[in-house]
Amino acid sequence: MNRWILRTLALAWAGGLGFSLLAMALLALWPGMVAAEVVSPASVKQGSLFMREAEDGQVREAPLLDTQVDMEITGILARVRVNQEFHNVTDRWQEGIYVFPLPEDAAVDHMRLWIGERYVEGEIRTRQEARQAYEQARDAGQQASLVEQERPNMFTTSVANIPPGASVRVEIEYQQNVQYDAGLFSLRFPMVVGPRYISGVPVQDREKSVGGGMGWARNTDQVPDAARITPPVNPGKGRPDNAVSLNIRLHAGLPLSFVDSPYHPVTVREVADGEYQVELEQGSTPANRDFVLNWQFAPGTDTSAAWFTETYQDYYYGLLMLVPPPVEKLPRTPAREVILVVDVSGSMEGDSIVQAKQALELALKRLGPDDRFNIIRFNHDAYPLYPASVPVTEANRAQALAWVRGLRADGGTEMLKAMALALDGKTHDGLLRQVVFLTDGDVGNETALFQVIEDKLGDSRLFTVGIGSAPNGYFMSRAAEHGRGSYTYIGDVAEVGEKMQRLFLQLESPALTDIRLDWGQQVEQWPQTVPDLYAGEPVLVAVRSKQPLDGVALSGNAGGQVWSQRLRTAAGEEHPGLHVYWARRYIRHLMGQGVSGAGADWKQRIQAVALAHHLVSRFSSLVAVDKTPVRPLEEMLDSQPVPTSLPKGWSANALFGQLPQTATPADLYLLLGLLGLLSSLLLYRRRA
Amino acid sequence: MRKALLAGLLLVSTLAFGQGAWIHAKALLAQYLIEDAWARRLNGEKQPKPWSWADTWPVARLEAPALGIRQYVLAGATGRTLAFGPGQVPGSAIPGYEGNSVISGHRDTHFRWLRGLKKGDELRLQRPDGRLRRYRVQGTAVVDEKDTRILRQDGRTVLHLVTCYPFDALVPGGPLRYVVTAAPVAGEQVF
Repeated sequence: MNRWILRTLALAWAGGLGFSLLAMALLALWPGMVAAEVVSPASVKQGSLFMREAEDGQVREAPLLDTQVDMEITGILARVRVNQEFHNVTDRWQEGIYVFPLPEDAAVDHMRLWIGERYVEGEIRTRQEARQAYEQARDAGQQASLVEQERPNMFTTSVANIPPGASVRVEIEYQQNVQYDAGLFSLRFPMVVGPRYISGVPVQDREKSVGGGMGWARNTDQVPDAARITPPVNPGKGRPDNAVSLNIRLHAGLPLSFVDSPYHPVTVREVADGEYQVELEQGSTPANRDFVLNWQFAPGTDTSAAWFTETYQDYYYGLLMLVPPPVEKLPRTPAREVILVVDVSGSMEGDSIVQAKQALELALKRLGPDDRFNIIRFNHDAYPLYPASVPVTEANRAQALAWVRGLRADGGTEMLKAMALALDGKTHDGLLRQVVFLTDGDVGNETALFQVIEDKLGDSRLFTVGIGSAPNGYFMSRAAEHGRGSYTYIGDVAEVGEKMQRLFLQLESPALTDIRLDWGQQVEQWPQTVPDLYAGEPVLVAVRSKQPLDGVALSGNAGGQVWSQRLRTAAGEEHPGLHVYWARRYIRHLMGQGVSGAGADWKQRIQAVALAHHLVSRFSSLVAVDKTPVRPLEEMLDSQPVPTSLPKGWSANALFGQLPQTATPADLYLLLGLLGLLSSLLLYRRRA
Repeated sequence: MRKALLAGLLLVSTLAFGQGAWIHAKALLAQYLIEDAWARRLNGEKQPKPWSWADTWPVARLEAPALGIRQYVLAGATGRTLAFGPGQVPGSAIPGYEGNSVISGHRDTHFRWLRGLKKGDELRLQRPDGRLRRYRVQGTAVVDEKDTRILRQDGRTVLHLVTCYPFDALVPGGPLRYVVTAAPVAGEQVF
């Protein structure tokens, strides 16, 4: 009997020893299993991106939203009408608040509030006045709508007093430019505001924010309006996505070889010569991916420098478009120093990092023997591959390729350090220094970044590449403009090869540098410094004058040769909308002044320009108020932010899907250690 | 052969035991260094590092008078930070101020005492300006790690303490979290 008990105990002990040995081996071999001490997806130092899903109940109650988009494209200008219909599905009175994107060069100049068959025309006011008018009307039970600009590419519509079970429609009109690149015309209609990384330390609100301030992020010292630019996200349970339908009329003026949308199936009909009708095949689409329309002139059409004019309110406006010669007629390229900067933060997880790596490999393979290069990767920190640029040798290239293949997406986004590393603030004689900045750019502290670019640019050229579903196009194209470069947008993995190849080809082929324009009179011209002209990308310049514009003399440096040309205004030709384009460029310039801190009156000047051209800006909003009150004042008003969809391909968990890890393996180690020690003791005594 | 095995077993066991003891020692010792840093914070230093290579600094002092607890809350909630003290989850309000503050800590070191908290217990937070703010525990709950509702800023001022659950689980990395919710004592301003 005693022997049996002893044997059982011995067996149990042996089993326990075996288990603890196995467990210890596992612990030693596989630290990932007890990752609490080692890693955390949220290892950001400052600020954070909280992926806040809207709570189920809240989402069902928020107004449903349908968007109808009508575009009229003439040549290189597009006039767009967006109708947002808010449906109140509850039995209470509601206020709907919707944060939505528009193209970064969109100039919003009209808004109408539709109540049934009649409408109230929106008035342009300073932002504060507009908001006051709106809130007064809202609290008095009147129907009202307000369109505010949060960022040049992000707007908020608020609609007050939607009756129970009824709908209210808000119509917004804007103008934008058609992109032209290597013979391909392209128009983008953004549909989704990507959740943004908010950097900085949260600040305490002095006043309670109203209206759009219902986001998932708190305002921080670096992003003082974080709550306004972070709308809740639709978790997709039981609530339909915000639907968008599109109707496009394209007046190309000439026969096209093709019209197509790369991400959405469309039907295209030629209704007259050079006039096309484009619609979504499905009728409507969920607003989770940007819409793009591409078209191209039939071969044989020669595109060249173009000059358009318009007269508006005592001023003469002009738009100059410079189109580069074909690649085979380009001058010889000088030696280059190429700095590749790649974003490896958590928001790049998924498709984006795959795209980025492919692009980098391509860039490395295209470098010439006379060039120099370096690579910088960044998340919340920034690391260069080499301390300084190195010549292109086979060994260096192989090392760089291996380094690129090992990149993984993790951590926060802090572009400041990377930008400061990439730019050296120097001028380089006989060397063309090109910095290629590859990111999904979902940051809120644009102002601080522009400051770095301004301070440290030197004579470097800055080229930005936006990848993923929702890059911050405003930041990217503005940064490129500051840096006399260009901005490339890549939305689909399948396009990486093609688009990057085009960019690198472009970087290798400057057509015209140091461009000068002579108008023969005093004009206000934007951009003030004309960027270099590269193969495949036109340069656009907007001017305004008190005197009639009769033309322009152009000159530049084409591979060491002097190049010049003269353009004259054609009599009687008017292109409506040029003044809107000019005003937008001017406002962009003034916003840039806000960055450099020069001139305390820049806000007033933006306001003045915006009011004169009927434009929505950060300091002016459109507001429409219906005279008759509809809501009995004893009934309450519910404020509901309309949730946005997560951009296609984004995974919520890679951003910040969970609470922190809060356990250590300490006790496990202690117990296993103790068991092991006891066992050794027992074994040792038996031997002795 | 047997001798070698025995020696190996002894070595591995000592290492494992040492590792476990080290985690506890680190958790305990770091708080003394952080106490110094907190004194500097009260004197106005913006981000006083407890030791020269630290990537965190104290943002508040947390007390549970009934349990005799006094701890320093660090900025950030990464594994590296939590080894030394409870951490303010980035993006949540600064503890002791308006808004939703979320503090997380390890269930087996700093925040083991959370299991002893009951509804109505008092908690205190000392802010960098030296002022104290009193809170009362409203309740406790066990939630899934994916349930991020407690991180939401909805305009209320509230304190959330988060740790892993269950408290006695041996293997870390489980999906459950223990959440203590506390609200500022009503009608009382910071004193």
